Amino acid sequence: MVQTAPPLLEVRDLAVTYGSGEQAVRAVRGVGFTLQAGQTMGMAGESGCGKTTVALSLLRLLPRTTTLSGRILFKGEDIIGLGWQKLRAVRWAEASVVFQGAMSALNPVRTVGEQIREPILLHEKAERREAEARTAELLDSVGVPARRQASYPHELSGGQRQRVMIAMALACRPQLIIADEPTTALDVIVQAQILALLTGLVRERQISMIVISHDLSVLGETCDRLAIMYAGRMVEVGPSRQVLGEPRHPYTTILSHAYPHTGDPASRLAPAGLPGEPPDLRGDLAGCPFAPRCPEAIPECLTRDVELWPAGAQRESACIKVLDEYAPSPDRGAAAARAPQVSPPTLATPQCSSPDSGRTPEHGPVLEANGLRVVFPARRGRGPARAVDDANLSIGRGEILALIGESGCGKSTLARALVGLVQPTGGEVRYEGAPLRYSSAALREHRRHVQLVLQDPAGALNPRQNVFDAVAEGPRLHGMRTGLADRVHDALARAGLRPPAQFIGRYPHELSGGQQQRVVIAGALALGPSVVVADEPVSSLDASVRGEILKLILTLRDQLSLAALIVSHDLGVAWNIADRVAVMYLGRIVEAGPVHEILLQPRHPYTQALISVLPGGGGDHPGRVLTGEPPDPTAIPPGCRFHPRCPRLAALPAGDARAELCRGTPVAVLPASAGEGAGSSLVACHLAAPRSSPVTEPGLPSSQGAR
Amino acid sequence: MTTTSHVPATAAAPPRLLALRRFARQFARMPTAMAGLGILVAVTALALAAPLFIHPSDLGVINAPGPPLAPPSAQFPLGTDYAGRSILTLLVWGTRPSLAIGLIATVLTMIVGSVIGLLAGHYGGFPSRMLMAVTDWFIALPALPLAIALAAVLGQGDASITIAIAVTSWPGTARLIRAQTLAVEARPFIERAKALGARDGQLMARQVLPNVAPFILVSGTLTIAGAILSETTLTFLGLGNPTDVSWGSMINQAFNQGAVSSGAWWYILPPGVAILIVVLGFTLVGRAVENILNPRMAAKI
Repeated sequence: MVQTAPPLLEVRDLAVTYGSGEQAVRAVRGVGFTLQAGQTMGMAGESGCGKTTVALSLLRLLPRTTTLSGRILFKGEDIIGLGWQKLRAVRWAEASVVFQGAMSALNPVRTVGEQIREPILLHEKAERREAEARTAELLDSVGVPARRQASYPHELSGGQRQRVMIAMALACRPQLIIADEPTTALDVIVQAQILALLTGLVRERQISMIVISHDLSVLGETCDRLAIMYAGRMVEVGPSRQVLGEPRHPYTTILSHAYPHTGDPASRLAPAGLPGEPPDLRGDLAGCPFAPRCPEAIPECLTRDVELWPAGAQRESACIKVLDEYAPSPDRGAAAARAPQVSPPTLATPQCSSPDSGRTPEHGPVLEANGLRVVFPARRGRGPARAVDDANLSIGRGEILALIGESGCGKSTLARALVGLVQPTGGEVRYEGAPLRYSSAALREHRRHVQLVLQDPAGALNPRQNVFDAVAEGPRLHGMRTGLADRVHDALARAGLRPPAQFIGRYPHELSGGQQQRVVIAGALALGPSVVVADEPVSSLDASVRGEILKLILTLRDQLSLAALIVSHDLGVAWNIADRVAVMYLGRIVEAGPVHEILLQPRHPYTQALISVLPGGGGDHPGRVLTGEPPDPTAIPPGCRFHPRCPRLAALPAGDARAELCRGTPVAVLPASAGEGAGSSLVACHLAAPRSSPVTEPGLPSSQGAR
Repeated sequence: MTTTSHVPATAAAPPRLLALRRFARQFARMPTAMAGLGILVAVTALALAAPLFIHPSDLGVINAPGPPLAPPSAQFPLGTDYAGRSILTLLVWGTRPSLAIGLIATVLTMIVGSVIGLLAGHYGGFPSRMLMAVTDWFIALPALPLAIALAAVLGQGDASITIAIAVTSWPGTARLIRAQTLAVEARPFIERAKALGARDGQLMARQVLPNVAPFILVSGTLTIAGAILSETTLTFLGLGNPTDVSWGSMINQAFNQGAVSSGAWWYILPPGVAILIVVLGFTLVGRAVENILNPRMAAKI
């Protein structure tokens, strides 16, 4: 290794404590690492593990009440002891930050150009004209037209804002960029674009980078090295590919399994999760902090303090099992006889299921949308938004259907229309074959059977209601007062909050994110519904909790034959638990069918693009990352809705007659029954390749299958 | 059924008690809040205990115990008024109507303001615009002339003053509560309640109201101070009960009897200082409550 030059950044025994006294939270407890010039390092872990605290402490951006100890040597100078004047000079000019949530990190009342120029004018005392030229150049390099200098943040899309943030970070030609969850709030496709941009720029300019994320797959593709954090400590460090491919700490194994590879049979219908909560960071932690949740813990884990031990070439792990394997000490000779390899956690035992496990509903659909349209009225100079535009969907009894799409595609609106929260402009919702009427009484009746689970469990619970009241809310509203306590206890137990008596008196803020989501699910179950519509049920949850909640949904389906519509932007969720997938684009379903057909042999170019940005999905369909922005439902293009972004259309030879078809002729609408049963997936694309199975007739202008 | 109601009640008690205890601890840590609370406790105790040591005859003009407009002395620590009554006695007695009218007017204000704010915030659309138009109309009306006109129409007396104060001070509360209702209604748990089948009334009573209640409390403690000031103003202008003794009527009489020109400062100053102290007490407590319950809004104000 090139160890001759001193490292750009060297952190030694960094500890960060928030507050003081008994309530002091020791968020970071002895973290050390080095970063060479030009190297990129990823830091991963769940919320509260201290990864953001480490990143912010590198520039001392933490609140005043925080106590820092240890050493942070940046180009040989200790940041912790630096005076304010010198620190200001380092901030932004030599090391800059790409923050999460570009909307709140940008000042809404100033143009993006001004904001990019600000550090240039401040640090380099540059002439205004020169700064403007630099700004244009920077915007150009991040793929935003230079004329957008005069735009305000709200006039840009989420992806463009994140690009502007990157341009700001690059403004003073720093040597280090700290990217804190740079793509978290973005759609999968935009996320892939931003990551590609960030890695490209960093490599080209020889900048070092620290990327923080909860999503290991993001880091695996962007970083040379990876550090996994748990409870304020690093638990595993090593080259990205090796850490992901062959984890040497059980926690890493769990994190890397949380976001499944589509096509991996081990994760099909077997989401990986981890029960329990991370430890309280107040006070001391004895032994290995992960031991209480660790599927492979041995008694010694609870008592012996851990540190990063060598675990192979350039690798370190804080699991005592690596001691036996890589640095056998004489006093532990007997223990070395144990199986040396860190095996995948027993929790993720795949329930071996055939690829054809997509269920076929036994008796007709339980919930249907027929030609559903939801149009939101025009406002502020924009046309009416056709959020849902002639969508057909059906959910069979006891079936799990995943509805996939980017933000703005209308999937949430469609979900709300199915629950009866949004009144459709056209078409109908059918429950058990009977159309839903929009009278107050009919809606109340409908909602007993069709329940909603929302994305953000913290927001979905009234902070002033305890768990009992939150779960009892539904039955009380429907006048089911007899046996209420039993009903609530039963629902809580089914949702995995056992024993229920331990939870009923608590308030939402006293619960973890996963527990809150379980309370929301229990609240839905208390009404005894036959369908649950879940809008991004796991997207705001931590990796280990995500799998637990998905498992719960699977269990409920098996035990109560509860049907579920899972709305998500994440195809991994579909792979984990769904029987059938429907992919939605601009208000319409573009492809639907059994999970293994859609995810392994996608035929719509949009589905292919979604899959190509998944970890492990890129190999089959390289170069399919879509350009362009997420679609706008106020301006639906004529012809095929997808044609402006379609890579397949772009690849057609000039003068191909089929191009006119894409641009001018709308694609036929898929029927609700699409994809019920194997080999029956349907696709709404003029150019869709025929499948080897005889479901499509290649000659048709729309290759929608005839059934 | 009995088990049904017992389980949540017993289980819910400790956290609620804890929250209350946390509130009390935070409150006790603020010196200004404790000072305000001290003032209020003392004044309230004085008002409640006044009949124990003040006989109605002490307040009569006919058998006044001392000489008219006597300066402070050992017998009359704050001097006497034009009829020879002890200013101290009048001052203590005057606490009663001031506090009573202030409290009742505030309760009325809170009820009217909260109901209108909640309705306007929840329903939106045309009914909301109508309600807010009425609210804005009341805000635009000059409060004092309106109160004078109302008191004149309703006749002199405590009731008309109370109503006049309530009528002129509810729009502020209504606006605040509407804004908070809108904020609460945008949160996902409202959508969850709707999906569970809640009707409008149930939504407002069970989901929105508990979340805007702290704002009603904050607004109430701050409104009381204003209501007491208004009460004084209106009685000073002669719109109150002419036979009752209150701080406003004391200043009114002092003014009419030429206390200013004869230099009888002990006649005018004490009621003014008393008002100042009580209003200060309510404001201190109100601000403290606001700081604890809603730190973000307190910072904005």
